[in-house]
Amino acid sequence: MSKLENKLLIDVGSTYFKLCTKDNVQQHFRDFNKDIYDDLTYKCGEIIKDYDKENIHICSSANGGLSTLIIGVTNSFSLKYATNIAFNSGINIIDTVLFRDIEKTSIPSELIDVVIVVGGIDSVSNIFDERLFKFLDGLNYSNIVYVGSEKDSAFLKENIENVVVLPNIINEKLHVEEENLKEYLTNLYQADIMGKEDIKHLYDITSNQIFSTPYIVNKTLPMIDSKFKVADPYILIDIGGATTDIHYSKDLVEENMVTENEYDRLVFKKLGVFKSKESLIFAAKNNEFVYELLAHLKVTEHIFDETSEKATRVLMQLAIFLVLCKVSAYRQAYVNLKLNALNSIVLTGGITKVLKQEEIEDIVTFFYKKILNSQHNPTIVMDNNYDVWTLGMLEK
Amino acid sequence: MSLLQEERNIILNNEYVDNFDFAEVEEFVKNASKDLFISYNFKTKNKMLVQPRGGFPTYDKMFALYEFFDKADVDVLPCTIDSNTRLNDYTTAKKMLRLSEENEVDMLNGYPLINHGYRTSRKMMTHFNKPISLRHGTPDARLLIETAIASGIFEIEGGPITYLLPYSKNFPLDKAFLYWKYVERVCAEYSKLNEPINRESFGPLTATLVPPCITIVIQLLEMLLSLEEGVKSFSVSFSQTGSMNQDIVMGAVIRKLAKHYSEQIGVTDADIHLVYHQWMGAFPMDQNFASQLINMSTVIASMVGANKIITKTKQEASGIPTKEANAETVANTQYLLRILNGLPNIVDEQEEEILTAEVMAIMEAVFNDPADTLWRKVFNSIKNGTIDVPFSPHIINNNEMITVRDRNKNIRIIKRGKVPIPDRCFEYEKNQCDLNKDTTSIVNDIIHDIGIMQ
Repeated sequence: MSKLENKLLIDVGSTYFKLCTKDNVQQHFRDFNKDIYDDLTYKCGEIIKDYDKENIHICSSANGGLSTLIIGVTNSFSLKYATNIAFNSGINIIDTVLFRDIEKTSIPSELIDVVIVVGGIDSVSNIFDERLFKFLDGLNYSNIVYVGSEKDSAFLKENIENVVVLPNIINEKLHVEEENLKEYLTNLYQADIMGKEDIKHLYDITSNQIFSTPYIVNKTLPMIDSKFKVADPYILIDIGGATTDIHYSKDLVEENMVTENEYDRLVFKKLGVFKSKESLIFAAKNNEFVYELLAHLKVTEHIFDETSEKATRVLMQLAIFLVLCKVSAYRQAYVNLKLNALNSIVLTGGITKVLKQEEIEDIVTFFYKKILNSQHNPTIVMDNNYDVWTLGMLEK
Repeated sequence: MSLLQEERNIILNNEYVDNFDFAEVEEFVKNASKDLFISYNFKTKNKMLVQPRGGFPTYDKMFALYEFFDKADVDVLPCTIDSNTRLNDYTTAKKMLRLSEENEVDMLNGYPLINHGYRTSRKMMTHFNKPISLRHGTPDARLLIETAIASGIFEIEGGPITYLLPYSKNFPLDKAFLYWKYVERVCAEYSKLNEPINRESFGPLTATLVPPCITIVIQLLEMLLSLEEGVKSFSVSFSQTGSMNQDIVMGAVIRKLAKHYSEQIGVTDADIHLVYHQWMGAFPMDQNFASQLINMSTVIASMVGANKIITKTKQEASGIPTKEANAETVANTQYLLRILNGLPNIVDEQEEEILTAEVMAIMEAVFNDPADTLWRKVFNSIKNGTIDVPFSPHIINNNEMITVRDRNKNIRIIKRGKVPIPDRCFEYEKNQCDLNKDTTSIVNDIIHDIGIMQ
């Protein structure tokens, strides 16, 4: 923690503020009736005033993150690559659209922060046509970026207002070129923060860039063994109030691409125990194993209707189970992790304050036995201090 | 507790490991017979060591194979690991082992060491009092090498590059480097207790027109990565290229530069050995021809002055060789080594100078990478094409280098991609080839050159 000398690190979450100094880590439950800046300075002003602006580093997930919709040409390349870049930039993916099916795809009604259009290598042309523009006409979005074949960029520029054209993310060898899009999305996140009054206000206390929390957490992962007893390959599950993030070691997936990261990220946008409680319960009710799990936990489904401490604990245990289901071979998802090769599971986020180690171990064992028919037992590591993010804050 | 020990505790807390006893294993290594250590054999046996390949799923079949080898006067026993274990899929390996035990059919193409466990395996591995070499191909070999050393296997083959670029398409290379760092450290730890554990790099790579400069660079880098973690006995290796002269030149250059670079990082107390693989490419179906090819490999190994030769069998082209065929090769190789007397010392100064310049130029480019650790310099060099392995299936490999054989069957670089060999060396390489042909003819030449021994 010597790097923390004279530094103050702040994480603004959807439910809590976390402050880290060289001496300790504090958490404060947010008051949602107050502006973030006011709430933070009211609760922690005494600490903040002791630090210079250049020594205060802030990351935030309080703006809910950006949402994106990706339109691509193939699942194996364009959609896969853009999805990977978006996740690792801290962006939440609303949906992916395969261009050949675009006419049959229902148009999302919600506002999309950024649309990513991608497809083809630079030597290919005439990939997109009128069908794309028709789809975009019906879509409600704030930004659009094209990262496909260079030969189609002029055509798209002519027909799509305010489209940003960046170099193709697929090179001639069909490898991913992530940097330009990653930078664009990170800056967009930054602009979004700047545009949100109560976050923008935080620049009154820091002169450093405010980063997205998932981006920062991803940066911490190669250093995690300096803090916890963890052995690769591992996953880090961050179950928060609004979303659940999972960061995983890349050797847990078959279909890797060459990127700068040792770890990739996946986010479940509507899986949280506070703001996304309803959708978590909905997902739970649709999982065929959940009733067995509830029986195992010695509760009935009526627990979903309760608002007690016990109900919160059960919800959190369900969240762990559901997220493991979602990334296992049991569900064909964006990624299926080789969970039998896992050595450690690191848990962070609000759940570490509520659940005990043995309660989590119980769920993980249940999952492995029930879903994977395995006795495998990865070590469970709890980020009890809820400060794993501090490792990456000074390493950007 | 050290970080390494913490990691070891987690790795060995695996459902397929039955209560790994660190103290007992340490005691076992400390008191193990010196004959089990190949590093000791290298020092004390005044001959080229002969090692076959081979592995069967069941304990009984593996034991029978070792008995055959023992009768054939083998110097080093192999322990070839099955494909499922190589991919860390111990569940399938366990299932297939049971099927192999219940039926008379081998459901695995090697010995599933993890599933047998070290307590059982140790009885066999120590029974013959000969060194055993672990042959696997595993990117993440952490659990495997712990089990191997605990079983009495004191030579570990492989490395982060040589066990990844020829074998894997997708496994992340950065992870492989970190996992092999663990392997080196564990080998270095155990080396303090008795004779050193020997690490051996896998020189053949894709065994498909790999130019000598690439083979040597990768061998040297894996050696340095190993030595920097404290390993004290290391074998560099390469396989028969198809040109006797090129093999002899490679042997001379790799020896000279291994010494040069190990001294450059301040390591002067490690023993470096040279291992030669008999022909690793496509074999002739005709078993008589295959035998001739094997014999020629043995002669070249003697000319090269290898410390160990790894044999092939005459059944190579037609499936997994039987234990009888394997034992026959061992006996024949031993006989041939005994009668190969008075070999001439051949030196090709021009070829040696060119190859040395190529290797040193690539090594310099790797060292000049701005990364702060050697493994990351090497990782970046593979990623940016400074090191390029022809015909590697891995997505990170640049695959821009093109090689073909010249009239004397030497492997020559005709397109260097991003590999920074000096211009004069590149011109020399191209000048040895007939490049006035059309592209189709050159492609046909390459296809012919891949199957040159068939």
